[in-house]
Amino acid sequence: MTDVFRETAAQPRTEAVPLSHLSLELGHLYMEDLADGRKGLRRHFERVRPWADAARADLAARTTGGRPRMSTCFLVDDYFSRFSTPADLLPLVLEEAERAGLVIDYLARESACAVADKVPLAQAVAGRLVESPPPGSYGARPPVSESGWLANGQRSPAGRSPQAMRRAEPWQPPSETNARRHSVFVDVELWDEDKDGNRTWSCPFLAAVWQLARLGLLRNEGEAVLRPRDASLGELPVEWDELPPLVRLNADADPFSAYRTCSVLPARFLSVEHAVRVILDQTDVDTGAVAQISRRTDNERQPMPGSVVERVSYVFYPEP
Amino acid sequence: MTAPPDTAPTVLACGEVRTCVLPSRRPLDSDAAAQLLQLRADERVLVSKRPNLYVLSPQTLTGVDCRLPTANGAKVRVVGTVAVRAALTEGRILQSSAYFRTPAQGPDRRRPWGHYLIRPGVLEPLGRLPESAAAQGVLAGGRPGELDLGLIADGVLTPLVRHPLLDQRAPLKSRHTRLRWAALPADPGQGPAIEEFTLAEDDLRTVRLRVPAGTEPAAIAALCEDFALHDWLLTTVVRLLDGRLGPVEGPDALTALRPAVEHLMHLWMPRARGDRTLRALWDVLEHDPGFTRQWDNLVQRVRDRLALLNALPKQPVAQPARAGEKT
Repeated sequence: MTDVFRETAAQPRTEAVPLSHLSLELGHLYMEDLADGRKGLRRHFERVRPWADAARADLAARTTGGRPRMSTCFLVDDYFSRFSTPADLLPLVLEEAERAGLVIDYLARESACAVADKVPLAQAVAGRLVESPPPGSYGARPPVSESGWLANGQRSPAGRSPQAMRRAEPWQPPSETNARRHSVFVDVELWDEDKDGNRTWSCPFLAAVWQLARLGLLRNEGEAVLRPRDASLGELPVEWDELPPLVRLNADADPFSAYRTCSVLPARFLSVEHAVRVILDQTDVDTGAVAQISRRTDNERQPMPGSVVERVSYVFYPEP
Repeated sequence: MTAPPDTAPTVLACGEVRTCVLPSRRPLDSDAAAQLLQLRADERVLVSKRPNLYVLSPQTLTGVDCRLPTANGAKVRVVGTVAVRAALTEGRILQSSAYFRTPAQGPDRRRPWGHYLIRPGVLEPLGRLPESAAAQGVLAGGRPGELDLGLIADGVLTPLVRHPLLDQRAPLKSRHTRLRWAALPADPGQGPAIEEFTLAEDDLRTVRLRVPAGTEPAAIAALCEDFALHDWLLTTVVRLLDGRLGPVEGPDALTALRPAVEHLMHLWMPRARGDRTLRALWDVLEHDPGFTRQWDNLVQRVRDRLALLNALPKQPVAQPARAGEKT
């Protein structure tokens, strides 16, 4: 029997987003990468090219039925430091990518991972952290939102006052929850605040938001966020804030979000991405979005890993 | 919400509901209620206005890794998340509800946390689950260190009742009630059934149910929230009127009756919403002990009493209870 009477405000809804099989990140540009100008970019894309080819070949081998859908993306930092202008920098990035035989389909600004089109994405993701409970957790709520740190286990007991030190309590090690015999304990700073309470999100936290966006798992009140907008190279703004948070540079590109992501990054990003995985492993993503992806991958007979963090992969290339 | 396809069939679902009056002089309208229950910045609060005003928060999760209470002392460790949500009915009655479901069997060791997060509201046992003993164990309440659904439900309720939107002036004196429930699978082909509904000490109620395979735990939780709300209404009105329906006259009689009339009498509306099949279980409680029968009787007595007070010669001017005054 179906319901005759419906109230839309009383029904949950989740907007579906178009999905590729793979989102391949071709780089993550910080000011220091431009220290020696165009040459640094050229070197980067030359190193990325073989791995991009490998990712494409791997995808083709693993896609069952139909054409493999893959989009590429590139992230420019405009959050921690502002440098150059979109009008100056973007043509340079695209030229050097093209020179290496790469096409950048989408370009995003790092600050879009904090706030995109007035939607506070980072704040929303912070509200979705569900800490991994250490054994013995029977329902007490961990105060993640107060501390601004997220660990992959239990911290060492807090340091004692000098008076208490007299009793010479032995040092207790931290421990990784679910460690394989020995711990690799990581404690990630998610944000800090200035004396007026203005919050600055950490690089790993914004990178985690970036991964969730690429995985098509972010929604705001059920609606898609970070919708790509077209931009033509001739009309790029001179202010970063005037550039849409996510720009589609290739009109023929496959969808931005994908079932899985792969990022080709210099090896120095390894610790940041380890932190990203600690965050993703403890983020309760939108249930409706997860269910939509499960249905689609089932229909396409694409095997999908159970957890979100397993949908994320990397290539770390050595420098220089 | 659809569960991930690889989730094994549920053999046990349990929950606990906390019910209390909203500590606010005026009931909240739908906008204020939606603001109160915005437990997650990026998820919509659901607002239903027919057949009464009912506002439901987004679901949040609490991670646990502990022993499940069992009636026979069997040691079962479970890992996963308990779902928690809050609801406000007619801007007046606040509830928080924690619940989970569990499959018959789980892996021998704990999996990475992301595995559990993608199965919200599922607790996986390490090894086999003795589901009947666990159902009894949860209803009876655990020992220290064992899963504490009440603590999880309180974790959501406590910050809500202290919310700055609320002036902390409850219109009547009442207690928080707790309702624990456990649902085991019904035999194939059988419909849902209530096996036991117990009024225990300390405002604790326990409900043991049988539900057809595939019944969503959220739907069972909704049914039990409906039971809890109406049980709270009965409990509260019975207590308000306890000893006050006798031949007392004048201000005392009015003071006793007024909060019930102004704030509670319009709230009775069993099976206002929820799963159609499960809603039929109300018939069981209506038959025995007869929830609505008792409510109708209380309402009738209040109305008769008011009519009588009205008909009596006027007493010295009765001061109506000031709004917000505890009675």
